[in-house]
Amino acid sequence: MTPQNLFDRISNTTGKATSWLTLAMVILTSIIVVMRYVFDAGLIWMQESVTWMHAAVFMIGAAYTLLHEEHVRVDIFYRKMSERGRAIVDLIGVVLFLLPLCGFLALMAYDFAAAAWSIHETSREPGGLPYPMIPLLKSIVIVMPVAVALQGISMLIRSIKIIRRK
Amino acid sequence: MIVEWVALLLFVSVILVLLAGFPVAFTLGGTALIFAGVGVLTGDFNAALLSGLPNRVFGIMNNGTLVAVPLFVFMGVTLERARIAEDLLETLSGLFGSLRGGLGISVTLVGMLLAASTGIVGATVVTMGLLSLPTMLRRGYSPEVSAGIICASGTLGQIIPPSIILVMLGDVMTSAYQQAQLEMGIFSPKTVSVGDLFAGALIPGLLLVLLYVLYIVAVAIFKPQSMPPHRKDSNDNVSYVQVFRALVPPLALVFAVLGSILAGVATPTEAAGVGAMGALLLAIGRRQLSLARLQEVMRSTLRISSMVFLILIGASIFSLVFRGFGGDDGVRAILESLPGGVVGAVIVVMLVMFLLGFVLDFIEITFVVVPIVGPVLLAMGLDPVWLGIMIAINLQTSFLTPPFGFALFYLRGVAPPEVTTPQIYRGVIPFVAIQLFALLLLAIFPGLITWLPGQIYGS
Repeated sequence: MTPQNLFDRISNTTGKATSWLTLAMVILTSIIVVMRYVFDAGLIWMQESVTWMHAAVFMIGAAYTLLHEEHVRVDIFYRKMSERGRAIVDLIGVVLFLLPLCGFLALMAYDFAAAAWSIHETSREPGGLPYPMIPLLKSIVIVMPVAVALQGISMLIRSIKIIRRK
Repeated sequence: MIVEWVALLLFVSVILVLLAGFPVAFTLGGTALIFAGVGVLTGDFNAALLSGLPNRVFGIMNNGTLVAVPLFVFMGVTLERARIAEDLLETLSGLFGSLRGGLGISVTLVGMLLAASTGIVGATVVTMGLLSLPTMLRRGYSPEVSAGIICASGTLGQIIPPSIILVMLGDVMTSAYQQAQLEMGIFSPKTVSVGDLFAGALIPGLLLVLLYVLYIVAVAIFKPQSMPPHRKDSNDNVSYVQVFRALVPPLALVFAVLGSILAGVATPTEAAGVGAMGALLLAIGRRQLSLARLQEVMRSTLRISSMVFLILIGASIFSLVFRGFGGDDGVRAILESLPGGVVGAVIVVMLVMFLLGFVLDFIEITFVVVPIVGPVLLAMGLDPVWLGIMIAINLQTSFLTPPFGFALFYLRGVAPPEVTTPQIYRGVIPFVAIQLFALLLLAIFPGLITWLPGQIYGS
């Protein structure tokens, strides 16, 4: 398996798996509403979990979204370019913007998440989510840029293949 | 002052680089990072600012208001995949199709109710175009009229609640309003919510629908050849049961969602969650929900949501760097030095946004431009709900304006070749005029926007 196939497959699998959380959010929010208005019970941890599922969806799904070309582009000119022209834009974009951005964010996030693990951080709300959840979520700030960078490398390989093909 | 010019240079560079077509989220963040890096080397940028970055990203992950976005997207995508919009259009046009202009009005109403699922102007215009343009042309509507109605109603859904654009705008306005009040020395600031924006958008949105419908009726009366009535055929014999089935459930759903938010019974997130559940039940009731389709809905929701929030992350890196170079002071200095005070400032901001609307979509402008200009304008004493709705309608107008409007490009993409580009341009011009008229009306009578939120929330 080439690295490109491998990275694409990772993004695809994680994206599809994570997408189930959207359904879970819908169901859980409905339960929260019923609990609140019918049984007059507010469940902080449930509300917090919906928020965090939402965070996991867009962070972990970012690489999958890149694979499926759904991060919007300003395509007034891009859509009129040749396949080769587009590949050149993608190549430069990945090298100049995507990889440095992801590298920088992952690097900065490392200390951020490590601090949360070391102090056993918990939710500030009483009745909120218990320990490992907050440090786990802060670790997603590392996962997202790493996953997007891998998908970016796959994009890079694809662009180079197109440019070389002539 | 030189440093502030760097900030403006950053802004202009980002716009230019975006035109190359690399995904917006990474271009925004990447360009800003390069500027920050150079700034750190020359000593003009405080590197410590960048260390707050992970915390900002975490703040976006932890933003409870914006949880409504994926839930509304889920609801919209479910309604779309369950062919509810198609059913609605077919039934309405069967019902009104034999009247002059009936089909045009049906398209407008469907656009108003169901076009807002994604917040991407292109996507909604494409959906509306695929759905209604062939029918309109087949029934002898002139290409001009058809194109105008589709572009206008396709973009209209963006500003009619419950739309995700208003959720995002509401969130951005909330923090802009707080910032403005803190700068004015008000330490127990008033707040503005997504609900306020929904309420504020209702009357202007319905006003636009009314104006569109009046225009369609006028064309039907004075230029009947461009909008012939449809002779009854077998397709038109819709039974009351059919009408009831196609019309009532989706209408009830939209009204329940909107009503519960406006009545203050539910938060936007709760209403969106229950709305999404309602849409699922509706789809199951119509036997339109297979496992494969459910997976499509979930994956599509994930991609749209990720697209939106990565732009937000990119935009927040951009605004961090922009502020770091003192860009917000620069913008304030420029806006405050304009002749005409607050009126002059609003006009200039609206013009700039109108022009930016030719290249950037709602989401980017909401996350990139509004946080920069919002606090300054609000500190001049403007009402946040009024400003938010004016921005929304202004952008909608921009998306319709030839030759660069987004909506026109996307309709061009799905229109058959016999519809020419000049015909599309000619068709939307009356609607652009209607938009400008509405903007003027709302500027002269701001109560049209602020009255309803005041009644509901007493703010």
